[in-house]
Amino acid sequence: MDERPTVASFFKAAFYLAPALAVLGVFTIYPIFSSLLLSFYADYDYFHDVVYRFGVDNYVYLLHDPSFWQALRNTALFVLGVVPASLALSLGLALLLRQRLPGMAAFRTVYFLPVVTSVVAISVVWRWIFHTDYGLLNYVLSWFGVSPVPWLTSPRWAIPSLIILAIWKSLGYNILIFLAGLSAIPEVYEQAARVDHATAWQRFWHVTFPLLAPTTFFVSVVSVIDAFKVFDEVYALFGGNAGPVRSALTLVFYIFEKFYREQDYAVAAAASYVLFLLTFLLTLLQLWIGRKIAYNR
Amino acid sequence: MRRAPFARRLAALLAAALLAAFGLGGCQGSKGQETSAPPEKASSGIATKLSGPVEITFWHAMTGKHEEALRTIAENFTKEHPDIRIKLEAQGNYGDLQQKLTAAAKSHTLPVMAQVIETWVTDFRQNGLVADLTPYIENPEIGWNKQELDDIVEVFRKANQWDGKYYSLPFSKSTQILYYNTDYFQELGLQPPKTWDELKEAAKKLTGEKNGRRVIGMGFENSVGWQFHQWVKQAGGRYVDEATGEVLFDSPEGREALGFLVGLFQEEVARLAGEDQYVSNPFGRGDVGMYIGSSAGIPFVAKAAEGNIHWAAAPVPAGEEKAVAFAGNAVAVFDSAKPEEKLAAWLFIKYLLNTDNTVFWAKSTGYLPIRYSALETKEWQDYVAQNPAYGVGTRQFDYGFFDPRIPGFDAALKEIDKEIQAALLGQKSADAALRDAARAAQAAIDRAKERAK
Repeated sequence: MDERPTVASFFKAAFYLAPALAVLGVFTIYPIFSSLLLSFYADYDYFHDVVYRFGVDNYVYLLHDPSFWQALRNTALFVLGVVPASLALSLGLALLLRQRLPGMAAFRTVYFLPVVTSVVAISVVWRWIFHTDYGLLNYVLSWFGVSPVPWLTSPRWAIPSLIILAIWKSLGYNILIFLAGLSAIPEVYEQAARVDHATAWQRFWHVTFPLLAPTTFFVSVVSVIDAFKVFDEVYALFGGNAGPVRSALTLVFYIFEKFYREQDYAVAAAASYVLFLLTFLLTLLQLWIGRKIAYNR
Repeated sequence: MRRAPFARRLAALLAAALLAAFGLGGCQGSKGQETSAPPEKASSGIATKLSGPVEITFWHAMTGKHEEALRTIAENFTKEHPDIRIKLEAQGNYGDLQQKLTAAAKSHTLPVMAQVIETWVTDFRQNGLVADLTPYIENPEIGWNKQELDDIVEVFRKANQWDGKYYSLPFSKSTQILYYNTDYFQELGLQPPKTWDELKEAAKKLTGEKNGRRVIGMGFENSVGWQFHQWVKQAGGRYVDEATGEVLFDSPEGREALGFLVGLFQEEVARLAGEDQYVSNPFGRGDVGMYIGSSAGIPFVAKAAEGNIHWAAAPVPAGEEKAVAFAGNAVAVFDSAKPEEKLAAWLFIKYLLNTDNTVFWAKSTGYLPIRYSALETKEWQDYVAQNPAYGVGTRQFDYGFFDPRIPGFDAALKEIDKEIQAALLGQKSADAALRDAARAAQAAIDRAKERAK
């Protein structure tokens, strides 16, 4: 690619990109800006395309809506519950799956299966697993003398149940990325550490883990963004509702309800922008931490 | 309502893209576009004759057997009216249908007619989207005479009237009924309860171990908050005033109603559907002795019970007063349709709702017939003799009521449902829950009112 940029080459490139840009522009960029605008509609007639007044009323409304705060809290809990555990577990499993033991290929498939299965199908199975009287989980717990836990019917257990489901579901994807990251590390480092008589733990902590940092960073960013967007799992696990006493209300569920069930379009748009800002700031934070850890060693 | 969440999600995303796209158009159009005429306008000058063939689109939310039955009616109609063709277009479930209607209203591509829920009609009417059907109904040439109009069940007629005018007409209706396990009832020598006290007694007796199974006497849907209107009315109280939007259930009667429900839970003789989502499943397994649920759930109960238990249905027990909620959907014609299309739509509605067709519809779908004369037909009586559960709903016509059709009611219900669940699960005292529910519901309704201004 040693072509110099000329007017002709610019138009040639633009010509090739045009279809993709048109689609992106119409279905992604335009809606992003129009929904930003929508979030500032303070007084409007939706059906007749009239906006009487622009303002920050919708954001003020969010500040005063206890449901919104509950959704924020629940989402934060969910992210904190899912991301670190999922990262640690999938890294551990990725290390295990790298061992050249018989049957590992089968295990890789097993772990990846949840990623490609539809959330609806998954939730049907998990509704059974979580069932208080007939569920697998309580049955297993009963072996250890634990009395039945009302996983899906008690407000206290709704978010933990969601977290368990989400960790399980996210493993496959994360393991896959970790496996790719692990195989990108040249084996010489590991061998050199072995020559120095480093223990397995020392080899992992001082060699593999630092070298894996870019991958870990990528996985954690993707996981955080993904966890913030949790919706399907709630919808499917609790039958289209936000769980008992709305205890599993998440941000996206809140937006969904405002938009589709209450026709409160502008508030939904404002809440979406709060969600966007949150994930954006967190990603920046992760980027900053990632730089410190990964590249300043 | 059983939904396909993923399909819904997909539709939601598409609709979101659409709506977002139209959002910007919204502010651009703010100067030039004139606001459409006030809802009142259609009352004169309707077409009463067709000058040529007309095709009308009908958006509906029916699937499977229900859709087949609708198609049969439409085909038969075209045989009688060769110049009118009904184009049936399935739009998914009710949620999808509502979203698509909203998007279509926004983009001025509404169909000629659609299946609607009365609460939507209030909103559509305020925005001048639905046609007033009264001139068609009252027209001496093509309308209904008084007797025919009065033949429509009163509670359904009222549910489709706004300020004395019809903006929609009842189509598929359901009600609440009491399902009970006849095996358990026989074993214990019980009769279907007719009062609250009997209900509580029966629930107590039914609770306990049966053949190694832990049975709970009474079941409630997870959405029991949606039934609360019925309990308040049964206690003799008022719920929400449709005219003023005032929330009225934080009253002695409201406390009595919630107290009664909470009492059942405290004594551990009642439970929610829980992870089974609908009580039909635990009931069908034999885990629940009886429950109050929608008559539209009869096929699900039958399916769940098959090979496990025997069951029957009875009218909902009465409290201080008799009161039973009726729900379901209606059909409406949109004001954007041309006069001849509206006429064709009216002729179809008239056909759809005649005695024969309402019986046919009820028999094929499990909804209730919407005409008194339908109950007299031999066809219906034979059907009910064979399927007694389907005959229970119509016995409650005289004390039926419907939920207030006001903006913000869905948002209010969401809050009410939450507080009532909290009370039933023992998280809050009944009084505190009732007070919080009333306050949150009032706020939701006030906000919707403010927004509609």
